[in-house]
Amino acid sequence: MTIFDWQNELNRDGHRVVISGQPIAMHCHHYNINLQKTLEETLGTEGVDLLYRSAEETNFNSLQHLFNRYKKITTLKSKLEMASLLYQNCGLGIIHFRKVRPNSAEIVSTSSHHVTGWLAKHGRRATPGCHFTRGWIAGALEVIYNRPPGFYSVEERQCKMKRDEACVFRVKER
Amino acid sequence: MAIDVSKIIHAVMEGSKIRESKGIIPLFGVYLSLFSVYYYNRLSFDFEIKMGPQREAEAKALLIEAAQECGYATFHGIRDSWEWEQVVTPMVESKEDQILGFVAVAVAFGWGDLAIVGLDPGEKLVMHASDSYEARGYLEQYGLATSEKCYMLRGVAAAFMDLVYGADYPDGCFTFAAQEPRCRAKGDSYCEFVARRSSG
Repeated sequence: MTIFDWQNELNRDGHRVVISGQPIAMHCHHYNINLQKTLEETLGTEGVDLLYRSAEETNFNSLQHLFNRYKKITTLKSKLEMASLLYQNCGLGIIHFRKVRPNSAEIVSTSSHHVTGWLAKHGRRATPGCHFTRGWIAGALEVIYNRPPGFYSVEERQCKMKRDEACVFRVKER
Repeated sequence: MAIDVSKIIHAVMEGSKIRESKGIIPLFGVYLSLFSVYYYNRLSFDFEIKMGPQREAEAKALLIEAAQECGYATFHGIRDSWEWEQVVTPMVESKEDQILGFVAVAVAFGWGDLAIVGLDPGEKLVMHASDSYEARGYLEQYGLATSEKCYMLRGVAAAFMDLVYGADYPDGCFTFAAQEPRCRAKGDSYCEFVARRSSG
């Protein structure tokens, strides 16, 4: 049984859509992937960094808000479960936290919105492309270990956008 | 006009709570994600800042183009979907009703309190929003703007017209282009989007 009541957290506040009172937007893979491609092609590594940082800071704030609201979620295991559940329920995919320690972690994603979207629109990539998920993971672990945004760096070692079997992320302190 | 906006919003909200086993939300013919508006605003507005004053026009054009292309593909998928056929098609009495259906879906997605205030079939669309997440986000994060900021909605307004009055998919994109003469981010009381046939 989960303490996180997902179905009741997704609501409308007038014309706005909210998760636990925080405004969200529903967007499809066409927009998410178009934004990624525009930023990567126009700004190069600076664009990739913007995708990563934006996801990191946004997820840091969102999860912090959720942990403040669900005060019974205190253990590492339950916090990681809640983060995975949030990722899944936001339609972002499946994420498995493995070997998570305060200074390093390995995370595996077997399915993701961005991978599905990228492959549907553009096919196989030559380089890893889950910049959103890398940032999302960094923000999640920084909240869980009470570290500031930017504390961790997340590298994608394998990527399904390259047709690897899974997306594999390695986390370390900067 | 017979489009029941609340019925469409209800269908989207219910559908967005259903996930398949891979954590993907396939709804209205597209893969949907739910994420904070702060993320989208940060991407757009920091992209503009990073491009610098000399490339400001290029940044805006790229963001609007990305949104129009996306809106065109997204709402084509939505219009072709099983959910549209079940929920919206029974309410569509005219070609113009499709645009009202698109707007209802966009409201359901949390993009703003959009309303069509003028539609000259095949020629011009005027859409208002007194609270779009882009204008609100800009004001909250950066203060009063010197120019309009709702790039996503501007592209999407033109895409609605492309789909209904442009050539058959996929050849009709960019038949229309939209302007945003009024924007809350620059102090207007509402955002206004005007889509007309492209001159080029």
